[in-house]
Amino acid sequence: MHEQDLIRFEAIALPHLDAAYTLARYLTRDPHDADDAVQEAFLRAMKYFGSYRGGDPKAWILAIVRNECRSKRLRGKEAKAEEFDDELHSDEGASADALALESDAKETVREALELLPAEFREVIVLREIQGLSYQEIADIVKAPIGTVMSRLSRGRARLEKTVKAGRA
Amino acid sequence: MSPEELDARIKAELPALAAPEGLRERVRLALRAEAHRPQRSYWVPLAAAAIVAVAVSGTWYVSSRSSERAELAQQVLASHLRSLQPGHLFDVQSNNTHNVKPWFNGKVNFSPPVPNPEPDSFPLVGGRLDYMHGRTVAALVYQRRLHVINVFVWPEGGSESVSERAENGYNEIYWKSGGWEYWVVSDLNRDELKKFVAEL
Repeated sequence: MHEQDLIRFEAIALPHLDAAYTLARYLTRDPHDADDAVQEAFLRAMKYFGSYRGGDPKAWILAIVRNECRSKRLRGKEAKAEEFDDELHSDEGASADALALESDAKETVREALELLPAEFREVIVLREIQGLSYQEIADIVKAPIGTVMSRLSRGRARLEKTVKAGRA
Repeated sequence: MSPEELDARIKAELPALAAPEGLRERVRLALRAEAHRPQRSYWVPLAAAAIVAVAVSGTWYVSSRSSERAELAQQVLASHLRSLQPGHLFDVQSNNTHNVKPWFNGKVNFSPPVPNPEPDSFPLVGGRLDYMHGRTVAALVYQRRLHVINVFVWPEGGSESVSERAENGYNEIYWKSGGWEYWVVSDLNRDELKKFVAEL
């Protein structure tokens, strides 16, 4: 890679390091994993910089960070092939026991968030903390916009339920 | 809880975070290492020699052979730690053996081996001069994820199989072969550091 390209890449990507770390930290729930994920994501971003066609660089970087955290998590699960099933995770589907377990004495939003399945957690972080649009989030998580909105609202509902249960 | 209340709590309890101290520097270092990575490297003879050395040594052991050896180990660790301070890691920054090796010309009275056998796993990132054992030595810098590996090398006769020692969470591996003495030091875990040495 030419020095000019590297400098151009750094100028575009490095300003989003804090946002990248924030996302990685909430997704991996571990500071060291977040650190690793960010570093790997930036290396990957540089590798694919040639195919970056403008657009919001923050959304571009966050998409790569999210994928890095996701593959880290899947590797951790020893590549157990499990597709997230939105139906299965509907509120009707979640058993009362599971919700009670989730909400066991957790009263902060932060703790409640950490208990959410990753698919809910990522849309909440991308929307509520990073302030991305539904369309940007849909592109990042590769789901239809309607799915994003529904995950967001159900994720919020779960947060609320867990926080309330913890307080009771 | 109203949606507004939930919004307020989310805002208050899920803050945007700042990247930890040093992450920006590590990312930049990794980017530079990757951007300047050589297309192809070859260091087969030395790698083979090192593998033989590792194989022959058979067992790894902590040496307490002599006080001189212990003192040298301290110097190696001290140099490693000094090198980690900002701006001290390299005098020449490159992933390319063919940039790093000639850089030592005229600065030391020997031309150190600059292997780069595993640019994907343990990229070479640069080199510098260091002072140790009463002489100027070559220090080669490699990286493994976030860990810096220093390889100190200087001409020394004789041969000695690979030994290792651990000090305050740092691992050191040293050996003599082919007219060189090598000291490898890092906070990288012992297994990976041994792997690196085997591939040198």
